[in-house]
Amino acid sequence: MSLTAVLNKVFFGEIVKGLGLTFKHLFEKSITQQYPHTKPILPDGYRGIMSLLRYDDGTERCVGCALCEIACPSNVIKVVSAEEPGRPLNRFAKTYTFDVTRCVFCGFCVDACPVDALAMTKEYEWSSENKRTLFLDKEQLLAIGDRNFPLRGKKPEYRGSIEGDWYLTAVNAKAYPQQAEKP
Amino acid sequence: MDAIAQMVVILGTIGVVMVTVLLHVAYLTYFERKVLGWMQDRMGPMEVGYHGLLQPLADGLKLFMKEDIIPSGANKIIFSLAPILSLIPALIGFAVIPWGDGSLTIFGVTFRPFITDLNIGILYLLALSSVGAYGVLLGGWASNSKYSLLGGLRSAAQVISYELALGMSLVGVLLMAGSLSLVKISQAQAGGFWHWFAFALPFPQIVALVLYGISAVAETNRLPFDLPEAESELVAGFFTEYSGMRFAFFFLAEYANMILVSCIAVIVFMGGWHAPFPFLDFVPGIVWFLLKVYVFLFGFFWIRATLPRLRYDQLMTFGWKVMIPLVLANIVITSIASYFWMN
Repeated sequence: MSLTAVLNKVFFGEIVKGLGLTFKHLFEKSITQQYPHTKPILPDGYRGIMSLLRYDDGTERCVGCALCEIACPSNVIKVVSAEEPGRPLNRFAKTYTFDVTRCVFCGFCVDACPVDALAMTKEYEWSSENKRTLFLDKEQLLAIGDRNFPLRGKKPEYRGSIEGDWYLTAVNAKAYPQQAEKP
Repeated sequence: MDAIAQMVVILGTIGVVMVTVLLHVAYLTYFERKVLGWMQDRMGPMEVGYHGLLQPLADGLKLFMKEDIIPSGANKIIFSLAPILSLIPALIGFAVIPWGDGSLTIFGVTFRPFITDLNIGILYLLALSSVGAYGVLLGGWASNSKYSLLGGLRSAAQVISYELALGMSLVGVLLMAGSLSLVKISQAQAGGFWHWFAFALPFPQIVALVLYGISAVAETNRLPFDLPEAESELVAGFFTEYSGMRFAFFFLAEYANMILVSCIAVIVFMGGWHAPFPFLDFVPGIVWFLLKVYVFLFGFFWIRATLPRLRYDQLMTFGWKVMIPLVLANIVITSIASYFWMN
């Protein structure tokens, strides 16, 4: 054993080195994020709770195709589609229910949507004492979309299409068989 | 009349010392968590009060309100007695700790900066620290749990091994001071840090101070010698089965013991209430005393933040094959040096 090794052992060389390191860290800035007081900056593409969007005129984007329901790997979306009153062939989601408790936040529903009616928000603080509050309906999902995406997309013009024109004129001429109203 | 007044003063002093010690114990936990946090680049307690200043209060309240559980197979009497047996020796040790010099006489009543000046002060403290080990041992045995029993046994073995080194590391100072009274030992170190026994002629006791520090860490079951409560092997060691107030008593005893051994180290090696330089004498003695005690306590936390736990055989080997020979050598050399110094 060399002299330096002996001295190192006698004066607890390694331990002193370790003590120096911890003492240095005493004055270093802590990396703690005081979470409820300071919120983290989320990256773009963060997938929080899902929401439904609207067009700039306030109408819903959703056409009730239920492709999101098919794409969903954990079956949390349930869409009941219906015909838009006064505009046959245009459909919308009569009910749209979304179960956050089982959602895996994969974002497949957003990818599947053909009209970009869905979006993942950056909301994640949805803890609740009542599980039922996490079972959202269409109005709640639209509200989430409204408060997270204030800039809405422009509604495309459908009436210019050939098919739409033909259908509307047919309906207006009462040539299309109307469903009898229930008494 | 005078006797009654003196009695009241003594009882008052005891009350003040106990309250101060318990407050310090409470805030020592906060101090420890803060220091450990900072050393690990964390913040420590931040939520209760400004920067977590009320955290000890919240912890105490929580422990008070907890359910009192006694395991079904436990020996009920000893199980309830053990925490008290552990806490009381830790607290009554402060009876002989002097934190200042001189006395103040008002209307025939004398105020002194210590509860009592026992002429066998150090012996009394060493005896008490041995009694404290009973609490741990009995608590471990009475819980009727294998983890508790192993923790208690380990604690007993460790305390006995390191008690020797702890007691003998103080002998060098006793040889130089020629007294067992803590007040007399402190008074012998007046006038500058070169008169403190850690640095004083004829033979500086700095080695004894380091050995005392190591033994003190082992004696109070602190990291890296916290074998009796090794979380990774023994859940929590001897207080595995304890909860609520009984657990709090063990906890208080551990921290009170830390303060006690720090106080002894300060009084015996670091000059007690004396200022490091004579021109700093205008600062009250208690300030210096507390400052030095807190330096020692910081050392406890610093070591805890740095070192990992020893293995059990390493602990015993270190205690018997390194500490005790070194301590004995220190006694021999100090005796020879003192002999030639006196003649």
